[in-house]
Amino acid sequence: MTDAVTLATVDAWLRRFAAETAEQAAWLTELDSAIGDADHGTNLARGMAAVVEKLDAAPPADIPALLKAVGMTLISKVGGASGSLYGSFFLEAGKAAAGADDLDGRALEAALRAGVGSIVARGKAEPGDKTMLDALLPAVDALQAALTSGSALGDAVSAASDAAAAGRDATEPLVARKGRASYLGERSAGHLDPGAASSAILVKTLADTVTAA
Amino acid sequence: MIGLVIVSHSEPLARATVDLAMQMVHGDPPPVQLAAGAADGFGTDAVAIADAIDALADADGVVVLTDLGSAVISAEFALDLRSSTHPVRISDGPLVEGTTAALVRAAGGGTLDEVAAEADGALGAKRRGEAEPAGSEPDDGGDRASAEVTIRNRLGLHSRPAGTFARAAAGFASDIRVTDLTAGRGPANAASLVALLALGATGDHVVRIEATGPDAREAVQTLEDLIEGGFGEMPEG
Repeated sequence: MTDAVTLATVDAWLRRFAAETAEQAAWLTELDSAIGDADHGTNLARGMAAVVEKLDAAPPADIPALLKAVGMTLISKVGGASGSLYGSFFLEAGKAAAGADDLDGRALEAALRAGVGSIVARGKAEPGDKTMLDALLPAVDALQAALTSGSALGDAVSAASDAAAAGRDATEPLVARKGRASYLGERSAGHLDPGAASSAILVKTLADTVTAA
Repeated sequence: MIGLVIVSHSEPLARATVDLAMQMVHGDPPPVQLAAGAADGFGTDAVAIADAIDALADADGVVVLTDLGSAVISAEFALDLRSSTHPVRISDGPLVEGTTAALVRAAGGGTLDEVAAEADGALGAKRRGEAEPAGSEPDDGGDRASAEVTIRNRLGLHSRPAGTFARAAAGFASDIRVTDLTAGRGPANAASLVALLALGATGDHVVRIEATGPDAREAVQTLEDLIEGGFGEMPEG
C-alpha cells in the first residue's frame, strides 16, 4: 500500500476497470434492460476496451494526459449519456490533476470531486434521482471524511468504495427522475440503477488497485 | 444562411428526418450536418457533434436539433469541445417537426433567432388552438395591405403548400399575418411554417392576408396569387 497514486496506479486502475466491466457487462446490461435501453454493459465494456487499446498504443506521459485520453475515448466509444458523463468525469479529473506527478489523498479527492462535479453540471441530476451520482457523490464524501480523520490512502479509498456500493444499493427503491429510465416513472422502482452500478465498480476497482499497489 | 446539425441516437433516423424535411424545401437547401449514432450503434458522440458544428463554420449560425435526453447532454458538451466560434443554439424543439420548421425557415433566409424560434416552437403544430408559437406583434412602420382570399386546393395550407407559402412570405421584409376567417383562427405569422400548420386552413376557407412594411402590397399580391393558383394542386370537383 502506498500513500500516493502514481501514473502506474492510475493505468492499472483503468485496466482493472476495463476487465471488470467486461466481466460484468452482461449484469450491467441486464440491469439496463429492466429500466433502460439494455446497452449499458456492452457500451461501457466496448468503451473501456478502446481505452486499453489506446493506453497500449500510446502510453500517456503523466496522470493528467492519461485521464484526458480516457475521457476523449469514452466520449466517442460509449455513446449515449454514459459516454458523455464518464468522458466528462475523466476530462475534468484530468484538468484538476494538471501539473501533478503523483496524487496524494487530497489531490486524488480533488480530481475525483472535479470529475463528479462535471457529471452534476452536464447531467443536471441531484442525489436521489437514481443515477450514477447516487454512487459517486457518497464515495467522494466518504473519501474526504476518511482523509480528514487521518485515514491512510488505502483505507480512505476503501471507505469510498463501501459508500459507493451502499449508494448503488440505495437506488433500488428509487423512482428515476433523469435519463431514459425516467420515462418509466414508478415502474423504474425496484431495480438497481445501472449507472450507479457501474460507478460503484469504478470506485471499487480504484480501491482494489490502490490497496494492492 | 443558417446551418443545422441533427443529433440523433440513430443514424438512419437522422438521415430520414432530413430527407423528410427536405421535401418542404425548394431551391437551395441550408447546409446540414448529421451527428448520429456512436461507435457503430445507437448513441450520441459529443466529439462528433463538435466536428459537425465546426464543419458549418461558414454558416451565419447553427441550430442543433436533438432527439432523446442524452443527445442534449452530448450537444451541450460539444459546445465546450468545438474549435469554431460562430453562434450555436441547441433547440428544445421536437426532432422531426423542429428540423422541418427550421429547414424551411433557414432556406427562406431566416436569422439565427428566427430559425431557432421556429424549431423551438415546432411542437405548436400539434397543439390545436395555439396558432402562433413563434413571431411577434407587427410593428407600426411602412405600408399596410391586406386581402381576403378563398383557398382553392382541397387540403389548403397543408405541408407542401404551407412550406411554399412560408418561404415566399419570408422573402419579404414586411411582417405578414394570415387569419383563417372561416374557422376563426389566427392571426398566424405567414413566414412561420409551424404557425401555418397550426392554423390548419383547409380548402374553401376564407383567409385574410395582412402585411405591414415596405413591400406590403407586393407581399400580399404574391401570396394571394399563390393561393389563387391552388399551389399547383388541381381543385377537387
